[in-house]
Amino acid sequence: MHRTKIFIFGYSKRSIFLTKSLHTKEFRITIVVSNQEEYQNAQKEGFMDIVVIDMTDDNLLYSLDAKPIDDLVCVVEDSHFNVFLTLSLHAIYPQNRIIALSDSFHTTQKLKMAGASKVIDLYQVSSNRIYNILNKPVTTHFIDSLLSFEDDLSLREITIPDNSFLDKVMVDDFDFSAHKIILIGMIDRRLSEQFLFITSGIEHRLDRGDVLVCMGYNEDLDRFGKFILE
Amino acid sequence: MFFKNLIIKIAFYLYNNPNYKQVKKFFFNILQNPDYKYKKYFDSFMISLILVSIGILVYEVKHPVDPWVDDFDIYLVTSIFLLEYLLRFWVYNDLHTLIIREHEESTFLGRPFNLWYPMKIFFREKWSHITSPSAIIDLLAILPAYRPLRVLRIFVLFRVFKLLRYTKSIHQFIEVLATKRFELYTLLFLLLFIVLTAGIAIYVFEDQSNPNIDSLFDALYWALVTISTVGYGDISPVSPEGRVVSMLIIISGIAMISFVTSVIVSAFSEKLTELKENRIIEEINKNEAFIIICGYGQMTRMFLKNSDLLRTEYVIIEKEINRVELGVKEGYNIIHDDASKHDVISRFNIAYAQITILALTGSDVNNIYISLNAKALSRNIKVIARASNRNMEKKCKLAGVDHVVLPNMAANHMLLFAITQPTIYRAIYNILTNQHLAHIDEVKSVTHLKLVGKRVDEICFKSYKLLLLGIQASNSSPFCFNPPSSRVIEEGDILLVMGRKMSIDYFQTIFQEV
Repeated sequence: MHRTKIFIFGYSKRSIFLTKSLHTKEFRITIVVSNQEEYQNAQKEGFMDIVVIDMTDDNLLYSLDAKPIDDLVCVVEDSHFNVFLTLSLHAIYPQNRIIALSDSFHTTQKLKMAGASKVIDLYQVSSNRIYNILNKPVTTHFIDSLLSFEDDLSLREITIPDNSFLDKVMVDDFDFSAHKIILIGMIDRRLSEQFLFITSGIEHRLDRGDVLVCMGYNEDLDRFGKFILE
Repeated sequence: MFFKNLIIKIAFYLYNNPNYKQVKKFFFNILQNPDYKYKKYFDSFMISLILVSIGILVYEVKHPVDPWVDDFDIYLVTSIFLLEYLLRFWVYNDLHTLIIREHEESTFLGRPFNLWYPMKIFFREKWSHITSPSAIIDLLAILPAYRPLRVLRIFVLFRVFKLLRYTKSIHQFIEVLATKRFELYTLLFLLLFIVLTAGIAIYVFEDQSNPNIDSLFDALYWALVTISTVGYGDISPVSPEGRVVSMLIIISGIAMISFVTSVIVSAFSEKLTELKENRIIEEINKNEAFIIICGYGQMTRMFLKNSDLLRTEYVIIEKEINRVELGVKEGYNIIHDDASKHDVISRFNIAYAQITILALTGSDVNNIYISLNAKALSRNIKVIARASNRNMEKKCKLAGVDHVVLPNMAANHMLLFAITQPTIYRAIYNILTNQHLAHIDEVKSVTHLKLVGKRVDEICFKSYKLLLLGIQASNSSPFCFNPPSSRVIEEGDILLVMGRKMSIDYFQTIFQEV
């Protein structure tokens, strides 16, 4: 399932955690930087595959030779340049998935127009967290648990295998809570490749190949994962 | 000796008596403390009383009034004014604290206790209060109640002046004018000089020829009426010399008026920002709870954009003027100041309001300093600070920050989900940004009593297109994720539900106790 290679454009305090996390998850990473300072910083952290190029030069970007299945991640600190880079990469690699980091609502719009497949706003999640801290303490605690790597609570993708007992079963007819998990949503392949929330109220039929997104404690999710494989 | 010991005992008794202290503090707050939440009600009451009293006294000049109206003014209104005057006199300072201080000093130094010394300070302070303009006005405002002496009714004017105490706009107007004291005094002396010169000149030229000018007073009166451009016309020059003086004085008058106007306008334009900011602080201080947002950068803008439904009042403090201008343009309550300064935060109602500070500047150093400053002022101030990495988070915690937000980490988490688990990304994104079908909210059984006593399976969350994620019990028991269907909802439980916002709102309406 993992993509073959991830190109991370830019190396700064904004993206250091991401780069390290991907590194520890044994993804193949190429860090693309435009100056020696970033190069040395990346090298100090132990990254080996670092390329220093002029990112405004299309020929040099082309020479990176990214395959269509590779992910391109634009996390350059200068937001203007990040938009320009996204546009350049989209022009050179139109089939690739481009994920970009934005620092404002207006930049998000521009990045989307420039061809980014997914744009993550640097402040959107945090600002919502502040709102939750101020108004919804239980929600804050719950979401913190969900995101914390130390906590047991998590979300997981579970694909319905061939010949599963869940094949052709209506969602309402299966009691997920009996397995101590909550079905949040799914990709109903009969309908689309889009993720659909269960709270939309649409009645879904489960089929093999559908991806369920469940919330629960890791132990229960593991048990359920094994259960549907039986 | 016995007398001195008795005095010291009484002083200590008062010092240690919580009821006495509480009562005195209450009256001090209601009379003197502009940040006290009930002061506005007292001020409004006093303003109404003053207006009613002025109304009665003015009406009385030409019309007879019912005796009960007179009684109301004499006994009730005047008694309240008198009581207020006495209370202000009482709360102005404490004799017992001065006596205790003198007692401690004399004991420490081994010298005899001198009662005269604290008494002297006490009476000197009281005298400075009595002779202050506002206290004099308060005293004179009581006098019109004495009906036998009609002349005392002129003191009704002091009741009008008494309004100054309760209306901040007039106070501010005087304060603004006070900043241009030098210019205004200069103009006043110039005015007096011109009036005097012109008055003497017209008196000398027209004493014989003008029948309307009998004395120097008439000449000075004419000069003042002319220079002010009022020109009643009761006295006018008759000789060519007098007319020349008139022309000169008219030109000077126009110049003077322009000058005075420009001085007042410039005083206001210089103080306008400060006045606006003071007003913002006064308004926010009236709330029982509010938020102070430090820094107006992208993070704050995003927070405000996402917090349209924020129920708490807030004010922004930003030290860069260009950002302040942007904030003002975007319609926010923003103050140009440095939130890391002690004086800036202490202007807020720290003693009575529940304050939350959001330290959201782009600099970790500033955010930590702001947090330390706030916590140094009061431990009750809740601080939420932004930090750039885990190391800074630790420092923030050491500085006493209650919650730390790490925008870089949060965004990196999202990037990680987008790359490694694209299906989950959308679920997580919607949950974290509280959007669309993944709006998470808390339903409190205290305000939705119809839920109390029901089993989870009886409520049928699915029919409301909601997911019950968990229940937080009112006691300190841990959060119950995915509660069993047999779980009975108790009073004080908080239900965590997920769904569309409208589904949650509808659910809350259904189960709300009417």
